[in-house]
This record gives sequence, C-alpha cells and structure tokens, in this order.
Amino acid sequence: MRQGDSDGVLVRRVLEGDTEAFSGLVARHRERGGRFAAAMLGDPADAEEALQDAFVRAFRSLRTCREPDRFGAWFLRILVNRCRTRGAMRRRSAAVFVQDDVAMERASAPPEGDQEWREEIARALARLDAMQREAFLLKHVEGLEYEEMARLTGARIPALKMRVKRACDHLKVLLREVDDARVR
Amino acid sequence: MHGSAEDPLIARVADALRRPAPLTPDFDTRVMAAVRRAPPSVPLRAWAWLREPRAVVVSPLSGLAMAAGLAGLLLVGTWSVVRTGGGGGVASAAFRAGAGHAAGVAVSAARTASPVTFVFVAPTARSVALAGDFNDWDAARVLMRREASGLWTVDVPLTPGRYRYVFVVDGRRFVADPSAPRAVGDDFGTPTSVVTIGGGGTHAAGGSL
Repeated sequence: MRQGDSDGVLVRRVLEGDTEAFSGLVARHRERGGRFAAAMLGDPADAEEALQDAFVRAFRSLRTCREPDRFGAWFLRILVNRCRTRGAMRRRSAAVFVQDDVAMERASAPPEGDQEWREEIARALARLDAMQREAFLLKHVEGLEYEEMARLTGARIPALKMRVKRACDHLKVLLREVDDARVR
Repeated sequence: MHGSAEDPLIARVADALRRPAPLTPDFDTRVMAAVRRAPPSVPLRAWAWLREPRAVVVSPLSGLAMAAGLAGLLLVGTWSVVRTGGGGGVASAAFRAGAGHAAGVAVSAARTASPVTFVFVAPTARSVALAGDFNDWDAARVLMRREASGLWTVDVPLTPGRYRYVFVVDGRRFVADPSAPRAVGDDFGTPTSVVTIGGGGTHAAGGSL
C-alpha cells in the first residue's frame, strides 16, 4: 500500500484484481472497528472475530460499495450488523464482563486507576440494552450525526435520539458513584 | 469529530471508549489469509462497469405511457405466468407491480436442480438480465426473453438453497424484485431479492411491495 492512497484508490485497486490492496483498508479501519466491536460485545475475542468477519464480508461484497471514498462508513455498517448478529447469537448475560488478561497485557499498559475505570465502563455498557449501547457508541464515541446513524442502522432519528438519551441516563446512574470517587 | 456530550461524565466515558482496543498482533495476517480464501463473489470488472452511473431520461409523456401500459400488462402478465406453469413445470407465481415494473419468481423445487422461472414486466426495457448468486452475479450469462406483452422471463435450473438476485434493466439499472422478500443482513446498500428453494415439493415464492 502506498502511504497516501485514499480509501477510494484502494477500493478501486481491489476491484481491479489487486487483492493485496485490501490490506491497506484493513490497516486503516481496524482500530475504529476494533474499539466499536469491543465496546459492543464486551469480549475481546468475540470482538476480533466480528471484526474479521466484517472485513471478509466487505471484501466479498466490495462491488456494492457505491462510494469507495466513504469505505469507512460502509464498512462500519457491515460491522454494526455483524455485532448485532454475534450479540444475538451469544445472548450475553447482562452482567457478564470477560476479563481477558492476555488482551490487557497487549494493551499499552494504562495506569491502574484508568484500567479500573475502563472496566467499570465495560460493565455498565454490558448492562445497557443492545440497541441503546449501539446508538450511544455511534453517537458519542464514533461521532456520527443522527442522519448518518439512521442510514447505518435503519432506525428512525427520533428512535435513535431516544436510545442515546436512555443510554446516557442509564450510564450516569451506573457510573456516577465511581466517577465521583475517581475525579475527587 | 465526535458527538457532543454535554454531561462531563458522559464525555469522560466517551473519551475512555475512544482509546484503541487491543487486537492480536497477527490480526492483519489472519484477515488477509481469510480474504485470499474468500474470492469475491462476482466478476468485479464486469460489475464495476455495470454499476457505473448513466443518465436515463424519461419524459413525462413516456412516463404516462409506461404507467398506462403497465396497468394493462398486469392482467396479461398474470395470464402469462399461469400459462407458463402449464407448459414448463411451473406451479404458480405471485407478482405485483412496482415503479413501472412487475416481477415474480415461480419455483418448482426438487432435490436436484429444477427450473425456476423468473418473471419481470418491463414494457419499455430494451433488455433485462438476471444476476444472482447462481450465476456469479454475471448479468451477461442470463438474459431474459421478451414476450409480446412486455413480459420478460427466463428459466434457471437451481438446486435447493437460498439465492439472492437482482434484475438488470438495459444493462445499467439494478432493480430488486418487488414481489420477493428483500435480502436482509447483507449490509451492502444495494437492494437485492431473495428466493429460497426448498428440498422437496413445489412451491411459489413471492412477496409484496
């Protein structure tokens, strides 16, 4: 991959038969996809599988990417659906949060207090309704506008706003105490 | 650009969640290995050519003529499918009009490949082709035949399974079958239809707008 190649250039190269050009798209979009899947699914191994599955599906269906320069938005749509499917299959228990020591070791060793804070957030996210969790992540973490969220999820904007609001209300209830202790 | 979180707590939560999640070091290698094992499901060059946007000019007068013609063709179309069913092993079909076209698919299924009749009403079309999972999405391989009524049909031998498909009108427009269920969970932004061929017996697939 040439460093300056845009998503559009990479997509077109893949469409012309250069399969290896797809690695450029993987490298560029794995971080955002990885954090979304991890926050959605809670379990790092599940998240990685969903992310890999989404990339393979994106490759197989690259012909249907109508706006190659917006590959990232198109790919996020695929990933959202993969996470929904995987989440539904797994029927996770609301309170389950898997502590993956190996994965945490691979992370860039955050301060201890910060790690606890992230674990609390993960537990709180796991207790949200999946649709609320998804809407919250797309809005507040990925920074999408409601119009784009509506295109991506197929939900209507008022419904999405309600999901985000309820997610925020719920998170505030769940995290207020630990946040107060942390910032004090 | 990130969503504005007015509440400081929510802002801190979002900030923590924006940090990278750890992936295994060989993640890229595994993805690319899986990608190489999963070749694209269509001849990409042909598809890229087909999906190039091209201008289609429809005058108000020809639009009215199309609508009037379609109203008449619905009656003829119904008769045509039933007639086909008598001669080619097709049991029945369901189709309804939509956006200037009516379409449907009639299915006679068995454990081995059986002919499935795809039907599309497009009186003003110059050509209609069928692309789907069964022909590697290569529209050039399954051209539909036009009957005098403006009804386009083609028989495709299919084994039991689930197939996505789309009609390709005049080589440039992709039209999902308005009478069949839309493929769900495909994520890709291009509407496609889906037909499921069962393992035994004869049945008809169809839906509504």
